[in-house]
Amino acid sequence: MEEDTIEKISQIVGSDYISTRDDVLLSYSVSASTGYDQVKPSAVVRPGSTEEVSKILKVANEANLKVTPRCGGSSLQGEVIPAEGSLVIELMRLDSFELHEDLRAATIGAGVTFGKLDKLLKAYGLWLPVYPESSLVATVAGNVAVNGAGPGSTAYGCIAEMVLGLEVVLPDGRIIQTGSEANPNAPGPFLRYAFGPDLTGLFIGSLGSLGIITKVSVKLSKRMEEFHYQTYGFQEAEQAENFLIELKNDNVNAVFASIYEGRILGFFMDMLGEEYHIPEHDWPPFTVSVTLGRLRKDQLESDVKRAAEICKDLGGGVIGISELPRGEWDDRMRTFARSSYAHGWHWRILYHHQTPSNWHKSIEAIWDVMDEYALLGHTAGFATGHSSYNFYPHLYYFPEDEEEEQRVREAHVDLSKRLFKTGAVPFKLAPYWVEGVKEMQEYMKVLKGIKDVLDPKGIMHPGVMGGL
Amino acid sequence: MEPDMEQLMEELHQCRRCGICRNAVYDAKGFDGICPVYENSTGFETSFMRGKIIVALALLNGELEKTAKSSESLFDCTLCGNCTQICPAEFEPAHTLELVRGVLAEVPNQVREEIAHKILSNNNPYEEDNSRKRKWISELGFDIPTNGEILYFVGCTAGMRIPEVAKNTAKILKAADLPFAVLEEEPCCGSVLLRTGKPEAAAETAERVSNAIKESGAKKIVVSCAGCLKTLKEDFPNKFDIELPEVLHILELADNLLQEGRLKPKALPGKNTVTYHDPCHMGRELGVYESPRRVIQAIPNVNLAEMETNRETAICCGAGGGLRSYNSELAKKIASRRVQDAVETGANILATACPFCEHNLQSGAEILGEDIPIRDVVSLLAECVE
Ligand SMILES: Cc1cc2nc3c(=O)[nH]c(=O)nc-3n(C[C@H](O)[C@H](O)[C@H](O)COP(=O)(O)OP(=O)(O)OC[C@H]3O[C@@H](n4cnc5c(N)ncnc54)[C@H](O)[C@@H]3O)c2cc1C
Ligand code: SF4
Ligand code: SF4
Repeated sequence: MEEDTIEKISQIVGSDYISTRDDVLLSYSVSASTGYDQVKPSAVVRPGSTEEVSKILKVANEANLKVTPRCGGSSLQGEVIPAEGSLVIELMRLDSFELHEDLRAATIGAGVTFGKLDKLLKAYGLWLPVYPESSLVATVAGNVAVNGAGPGSTAYGCIAEMVLGLEVVLPDGRIIQTGSEANPNAPGPFLRYAFGPDLTGLFIGSLGSLGIITKVSVKLSKRMEEFHYQTYGFQEAEQAENFLIELKNDNVNAVFASIYEGRILGFFMDMLGEEYHIPEHDWPPFTVSVTLGRLRKDQLESDVKRAAEICKDLGGGVIGISELPRGEWDDRMRTFARSSYAHGWHWRILYHHQTPSNWHKSIEAIWDVMDEYALLGHTAGFATGHSSYNFYPHLYYFPEDEEEEQRVREAHVDLSKRLFKTGAVPFKLAPYWVEGVKEMQEYMKVLKGIKDVLDPKGIMHPGVMGGL
Repeated sequence: MEPDMEQLMEELHQCRRCGICRNAVYDAKGFDGICPVYENSTGFETSFMRGKIIVALALLNGELEKTAKSSESLFDCTLCGNCTQICPAEFEPAHTLELVRGVLAEVPNQVREEIAHKILSNNNPYEEDNSRKRKWISELGFDIPTNGEILYFVGCTAGMRIPEVAKNTAKILKAADLPFAVLEEEPCCGSVLLRTGKPEAAAETAERVSNAIKESGAKKIVVSCAGCLKTLKEDFPNKFDIELPEVLHILELADNLLQEGRLKPKALPGKNTVTYHDPCHMGRELGVYESPRRVIQAIPNVNLAEMETNRETAICCGAGGGLRSYNSELAKKIASRRVQDAVETGANILATACPFCEHNLQSGAEILGEDIPIRDVVSLLAECVE
């Protein structure tokens, strides 16, 4: 990176907030994705305001400098690994919080994590009811950039459903606002689909390739305090799948629901059984772990009753062990961090969405690939909204074993192709999906066209989004 | 004490790079931020544990050159262990970082060399005649023998920099009618050597301490410094295979004495609200949370007000891990944030149980321009039992 570009940027942010030190660059060459090669940026900058972000992008655009936006750095599929020699723009200093209580909405800076937001909102009896299981480190903006999901999503869908508008800095430094706040006279965020087509959506899931999100306006709800935790057992995958479908059909409010197949449950019990005080049990082949949540007790009581009836009608049984869902829900901000890692192993993850009725197809593909490639692994997942089920299989390898790592990489590509064939769609359009999305050439061409208009020099996080 | 490099590398590889150790706010578990260095510095990834581990691995596997500059971030850490408290992986990051400092002997670091030299040649880090460590006794009005069953191990900072703590510890023991001894030539416990990465030097001081204690005939050791407590109680047996007689903090002992009725505190004048800062070595490291609080609450006219982060999740005072020597500006800034936490409770006294914390919090209060008195709980109690 040119000396004078560094000088210009350091004049914008102050010399303390830009670094080209070797050790610092190294620490930004990776993310939480252990299975990806590290790539060093040429500098890292930590701006303190939207205006500074805008000025930095103007300088970068002029200098043809590639840019990688970064928030919590917790992404798991290599999304935030910088392009070679690029400038990492880390946004954790943008930590503003503005509550619009009467609109049941908040506008928050890109550096605000879910954990921090939750604490701020709790004081008002409110919440943002979608919690990625990296909530203690992931920012809302970063999660919007990947369209993430988490506990709460079973009822409310992915984070996209919560967004009312965004403040975005475009690659040339222009600052735009989407949603109702695009009207500077509006009292705040109250409608996402204002002013014609949904520009907000363009940036959701864009992995930082179209612009930098500096603020996110989100819908809030009154904080639920009434919960019920239960496990339901089934002999057949189809019964468990139909259970999730019927809960939705009947408007039973599961805020978090997961199907566990025997093998997976065993893995989970090894990791967390003791910590969550889950009693020993002869689990059925398929266990559905459900947290029901409602604002009012009468609503909850009705849901509890109905869930048991649906379970029975489908030929299943109420297991009666509540510690599993309770642990998942109470520790929702980091259950995954506690449970989904094997001791000392590295891994690749393959986030995707299926339909609940196709749950078994993902499971079959995952086990087939693991068996064929002789790999250790497992999968976890949960229902995400209207008719989708979010999966995140893990493929493990021993970090010192290069041959095994190579096998994992091959298995990963193979699995994404097989999953695509089952009708699954990418969750976070990470690079390895490129093979799959080839079947969608026209779609990708349109995306590329949009990218060219917004970012003609191609400086914004090139490589992500199917290689745009 | 040869470091087991294989085990160390395996521990470093346990890091999941999840980044929770940065600034996790986890209301349900009492965390309001994690890393005091991240919060009070320019905040690049190298400021908190995830980045430090990446740097450590790169230094150890040769990817980064072992220079003072490239290893700086490893020393910009108080080893407070707040990251360990929340880390989901199967290792203890702060302890691991301490080991990393120890094996990076080639890394030039003037500060730690100087400290080690001073301690090895003077038995204290303050480059003073070590016999001064007993000087405060002359101001007591009673004498203290050098041999006895209960030994008060004074520590360098209480002995030479904050003698009030030493005097007040002695007053409490006297008030409870407990005869005790203080060593003639007390060697440094070596805590600073261990934390800054000089394990061989620490082994040498440990030997000196162990011999001196043996000679004193002690059956029980009382300390007033959290650093001495952790070192004598935990590091001596675990790192050097040295078993000492029972070691306890004066506030643990005072807590027992109060419960037995052997100490009967009078009221502290005025209306007092005290907030208690948990020293990392005493709290997170050894789990001593309640006895200092019970001592505070046993004093008539005193209310206890908790800071938002307390006990397991307490934010560090900034002095630990040698940071006060490596980067005193940062250490003091961290302290000023902690004093701010105290002020926010509405308390009129900020109390702690470690001379290092007291000293650094004092600097923090000065930066902040707050005149909240910073006291050792030992001093508060001594004032009421004299
Ligand atoms: C233990 C653990 C558990 C996890 N659980 C979940 C889970 O339950 N659900 C889930 O969805 N994910 C989960 N993840 C993955 C990860 O936490 C999420 O993808 C998260 O939302 C990423 O947010 P971040 O702030 O860390 O973003 P980063 O990792 O910094 O960035 C992610 C991507 O977004 C881009 N980006 C970041 N910030 C911006 C911005 N302001 N503007 C534009 N682009 C930007 C980056 O360039 C990158 O492509 C988990 C990760 C871990 C380590
Ligand atoms: S040290 Fe622990 S908390 Fe920090 S990144 Fe590593 S695993 Fe996560
Ligand atoms: S030990 Fe304390 S100062 Fe050091 S990295 Fe962990 S939290 Fe930060």
